[in-house]
Amino acid sequence: MSRLSDIPIRVLPSVAAPAAGDGLGGGLGGGVHAILAELVTLLEGLVDLEHGGMIDLHSLPMDPRDRTALQHALGKGEVHATLDAQGLSQFQETSVPGIWWIEHRDPSGELVAELLEVAAVPAILACARDEIATGPGVLRSRIAGLDTRAGQGGHDRHQ
Amino acid sequence: MTDTSDAPLVGETLRRHGISRRGFIKFCTATASAMALPPWMGVAMAEQLRNAPRPSVVYLSFQECTGCLESFTRSFAPTIEQLIFNVISLDYDETLMAAAGDAAESALAKAMHDNFGKYVLVVDGSIPTGADGGYCTIGGRSATDILREAAKGAAAIVCVGTCSSYGGIAFADPNPTTAWPVSAIVEDKPIINVPGCPPIAEVITGTLLQFVTTGKVPDLDEQRRPKVFFGNTIHDRCYRRPFYDQGKFAKSFDDEGARNGWCLLELGCKGPTTYNACATVKWNGGTSFPIESGHGCIGCSEPGFWDKGSLYSTLSSAVWGKAGEAGPRQVLEVGAAAVAVGVVLGVASAGVSRLRQHRSEHDGIQPSGDDQP
Amino acid sequence: MDLLGFARGPAFWGALAVFFLGVVWRIVSFALLRIRRDRNRPRNGMAKSIGEGLLVIGTRSWPHREFIGRTGAGEALGYSYHLGLFTIVLLFTPHIAFLGSLLGFTWPGLPSSIVTIVSVLTATLFLAVLFRRVTNPVMRLLSNFDDYFSWAITMLVILTGLAATAHVGARYETLLGLHILSFDALLVWFPFGKLMHAFYIFPSRAINGILLSRKGATS
Repeated sequence: MSRLSDIPIRVLPSVAAPAAGDGLGGGLGGGVHAILAELVTLLEGLVDLEHGGMIDLHSLPMDPRDRTALQHALGKGEVHATLDAQGLSQFQETSVPGIWWIEHRDPSGELVAELLEVAAVPAILACARDEIATGPGVLRSRIAGLDTRAGQGGHDRHQ
Repeated sequence: MTDTSDAPLVGETLRRHGISRRGFIKFCTATASAMALPPWMGVAMAEQLRNAPRPSVVYLSFQECTGCLESFTRSFAPTIEQLIFNVISLDYDETLMAAAGDAAESALAKAMHDNFGKYVLVVDGSIPTGADGGYCTIGGRSATDILREAAKGAAAIVCVGTCSSYGGIAFADPNPTTAWPVSAIVEDKPIINVPGCPPIAEVITGTLLQFVTTGKVPDLDEQRRPKVFFGNTIHDRCYRRPFYDQGKFAKSFDDEGARNGWCLLELGCKGPTTYNACATVKWNGGTSFPIESGHGCIGCSEPGFWDKGSLYSTLSSAVWGKAGEAGPRQVLEVGAAAVAVGVVLGVASAGVSRLRQHRSEHDGIQPSGDDQP
Repeated sequence: MDLLGFARGPAFWGALAVFFLGVVWRIVSFALLRIRRDRNRPRNGMAKSIGEGLLVIGTRSWPHREFIGRTGAGEALGYSYHLGLFTIVLLFTPHIAFLGSLLGFTWPGLPSSIVTIVSVLTATLFLAVLFRRVTNPVMRLLSNFDDYFSWAITMLVILTGLAATAHVGARYETLLGLHILSFDALLVWFPFGKLMHAFYIFPSRAINGILLSRKGATS
């Protein structure tokens, strides 16, 4: 009776190895070109119509070579942001203005989504108007709280 | 507890559970990604859900194996806990709820009464009408009666699994309990079929999430399945397609072709005629699906798949009917009968022709002669 | 029952029954016809005649030198598309699986892409054949409904088969259902038209050869 460990596993090499110095060759799908082309279209949309978009990298088959090629093509920008909500999410501005590389992780650190967002700033980072509207009230009550404590302290001192 | 008319909005419920607006957007984005939906849908889902009250969901189980609920509870994105606690109000489910007996029945009655016209009715299992409905009774009432009553106040009915969508295994020949799908019993409510034996977990939760978010029935095909998950065949998205196109087929399990990952058409794969999301969304959070694990698709999300011959007979095989009938034997039976009738007709025709030949000779046109073999 | 279920279920078995019935009927009805007794002294013995009759099946496969100029092209066209049809029917893996389920045994097939190329070539040859039949004055004079209908039904099977493998035109099950249904129609028509030449051609050449050999003609 054969066991699971007896089943031979054969790992096939990738179809074509990229030439040295070739940043965009090889890999499974060669989808890097397609992704970059789509990014150009989305960026043009952002410029003309102020409407960008998102590309879900999870749905696109990429082997490590493609991923490196994409990262190499996009580069790193000046801004890096971290969001701490239901796990940590990382937002890296790329060297192409308007393109952000986003990694969402859940509380256990698992990568749950990976996106490229074309926007002035990733939409999720901005505060919502309705939340901002509650801001003055929250702050005023905090100020009142500080005053109360200061008043009490002063009162104690005057005692 | 179950009245959602003045219930808190989903957004407020989330805040109470410590989930911020951004956390929820992240959750919906991840869900959309896991379901191979475009990212903007995740964001739109989050926005709409936050400002909506938690919809009431009633889950009824009839003649089923509970496999569909088991699949449902193993959804990765959203998880069942996330769904139950944050998004929907699951007011009745016999397997998951803590209540039993009369307490459970009164919970169901209250949920249906308080949310009349607004709750989502989820059904798994087929509905038997044989023996006056006696083959499936809960709390002394037949499945048919329970379903008809529950359907009256439902905003829509989501049939989870092949049994409630098409009748499933109980409906298969000889259908001893006279089982029917939901659509044969209820005809005046919008029905969404989510077939599969079982359906992929994220397809169930994704369909529910889509409906409760938008309040509208999604785009359905002719069999009332959401096109977003059931719009393509397994074959159209199968990663082994290049082998099919090249004519490289595995001939038996574990042979060289199978080990090389060749097409499983000759081992009975029903991928070309099966519509489902297995090849894209996959199972167990995107781990694998039957073909990737080396077994052909059995076509479990198509109606009547149990009666379509052996799971291992190829799609183009002629035997497609009662399982177990051998093709060559059927040919012999049909052929023998047809040949017998053909011989009779042939002899009769020859007889008529020879008679004509004989008569024309007697009319003196040709010299008569003895018969020659 | 959906189209595919009907096409491969009752329609197929009904068509197969009609096919067997019709073919046997026609073969038996002509096999039992009387042959007028020949009152001449036979020039060759029966055994030799039968031998020469069987030889004729082969020697009549290609026109004599004198006629090649006029009929060679037509013959070549015919052979080509027949070869194409046999390749498609007998060497395409899904067809082998279908026949295998009826016969109980299978055989190796060709890569599917090659069969697709052959199918396209065969369909083109079919069009060429129709063109010839319609433009050649002799052919046009001789052609009747049987010729055109037999052509059309066979062409339909080829075209629906190509559409199904290419997944073009409609949902796959519909295309497959149409392909199988057109094949069922072919099976039903087969015994009652010129397609019966498949069964007649070799016996009729042989019988003519035997009779003529008895009269002393050598091939």
